[in-house]
Amino acid sequence: MTKIDSDLISKLEQLSRLSLKAAEKEKITNDLNSIVEMFDKLQEVDTIGVEPLRHITHHINRMREDEVRGELTNEQALKNVPKSVDGFIAVPKFLKPK
Amino acid sequence: MSKYDTVVGLEVHIQLNTKTKAFCGDALSFGDSPNTHVSAISLAHPGTLPVVNKVQVEKAIRLGLALGCRINEYHFFDRKHYFYPDSPKNYQITQDNEPICIGGSIDIQVNGQKKTVRIHHIHMEEDAGKTIHDIDDHYSMVDLNRAGTPLLELVTEPDMSSGEEVYAFMAELQRLVRYIDVSDADMEKGSMRCDCNVSVKPAGSLTLGERCEIKNLNSKRFAREAVEYEAQRQIKLVEQGITFSKQTLHYNVVEKITQSLREKEGAEDYRYFPDPDLAPMRVTPAYLEEIKTSMPDLPWVVKERLINEHGLVEDHAEQIAADPYLVALYQEINNDLKDPKSVAAFMVNQVLPNIEAETYSESILPCHPAMMAEYLQLLKSGKVTASIANQKLWPALCADQSQSAEERAATLGILINNDTGFLEEIVTKVIADNPDQVKKYKGGKKNLMGFFVGQIMRQSKGSADPQAVQQLLAEALK
Repeated sequence: MTKIDSDLISKLEQLSRLSLKAAEKEKITNDLNSIVEMFDKLQEVDTIGVEPLRHITHHINRMREDEVRGELTNEQALKNVPKSVDGFIAVPKFLKPK
Repeated sequence: MSKYDTVVGLEVHIQLNTKTKAFCGDALSFGDSPNTHVSAISLAHPGTLPVVNKVQVEKAIRLGLALGCRINEYHFFDRKHYFYPDSPKNYQITQDNEPICIGGSIDIQVNGQKKTVRIHHIHMEEDAGKTIHDIDDHYSMVDLNRAGTPLLELVTEPDMSSGEEVYAFMAELQRLVRYIDVSDADMEKGSMRCDCNVSVKPAGSLTLGERCEIKNLNSKRFAREAVEYEAQRQIKLVEQGITFSKQTLHYNVVEKITQSLREKEGAEDYRYFPDPDLAPMRVTPAYLEEIKTSMPDLPWVVKERLINEHGLVEDHAEQIAADPYLVALYQEINNDLKDPKSVAAFMVNQVLPNIEAETYSESILPCHPAMMAEYLQLLKSGKVTASIANQKLWPALCADQSQSAEERAATLGILINNDTGFLEEIVTKVIADNPDQVKKYKGGKKNLMGFFVGQIMRQSKGSADPQAVQQLLAEALK
């Protein structure tokens, strides 16, 4: 079984762009360990010959026609955006221009 | 023979030419104002559900059929997770485990040698938005018009061994997707772009060297240059005994060198899993058959038909079959003219050499197709001399199409004048003006005939029929 240790926690922090305080780290380590344990329990079920469940409904080929619909105006689209400039969504700079 | 082999595999992204995005009804656009083709789905608002665009699936299957891929009867969408502002969902919808097309191949020709490049698979996915970093000092600007655009990613086996082969592969793929109306494949607009995985190994060795990936090449020429540069760079390192690790590179088109992109922090972990929002897909045999019968002719089929049914020489057939627009143009002109060989020769010799565009369309032609047909019709009728028409009439028609080809020829005074009186007058004058040459001709220098014909053609300003002139001259110089 996968052991949740501090190395794995810091990798997960990095992947999810979070930085946790020491107390939070301890709490999440415990939580994740019990989640992994639960999955280990599930692994005990014999699934030989059972097709993997990929979708919870029996739908198949749910497709739409290639027709334009449902577009928002620029004004509507930017309504909940914290900052916008000239129709763009402005986000804190994360790359220096070349 | 080089001491090293270059090994190249490609990942090509092809933007589909559907009307709308992959999973919602936003229009596909290029160059429109930012964030004007977005919706609750492309902005990733909570509680929204993506629905697959039918035409996207159909186009993916078309490409698979054209390349001889196995079409995966059951295929699924997965989520690939990464954080980047131009992907508001924080994951990309893609196909990881069960892509739509598996296997297949493309034949390319380099220096007369045929080579088969195998395809690993083709999967469907969505494009990200665009981020612009140089407008503002403190903010990056995000435009989500492109977010959710349907893409096909085609992954090849590492079967190419030079920049030249990469170029040929991209050219062939580009031609093919245009033929089957899957993409405009305009690399300048980014509708087709490729990542090149390059490694080198001692000639004949079975073990591959460490590979580097050159990202996002948006021209066939750059791809060729980048691969050649990168292979040389790696050979130098190997020869100096320097080991290098797997890297992601960018091709600097100004300095013509590959450069390392920022190092990725930690190992990649995209945490793929099946997308629970999208139902599984099944390609039924009946649907597959329907798409097969609706497929347009493939380029190599068109080329064979031009040779076998229209009687064109291979080179002409090849050049016309290179692009679906050229085939349509050939057909349009030939429908009027019913003279396949002349139409083909005209296109290959007179039209194509003067076009430098990457994609063909009516807008880049030197003159309207109907005018081309008129021009060829006039030549065929024998009312103008071919060489004179080529020199004078064709450029005049390209510059100004306010008159018909025949009217224009008349304005230029190059319609063949069959008035014998007019010709006899010039013949007499030319003979009178050149007594020395007449004497020499009569003395046996028969090749002076060309001189006399030339003089007469000049004086008639091209309106004399060279054959009639020859007859009259032969008579007059007896």
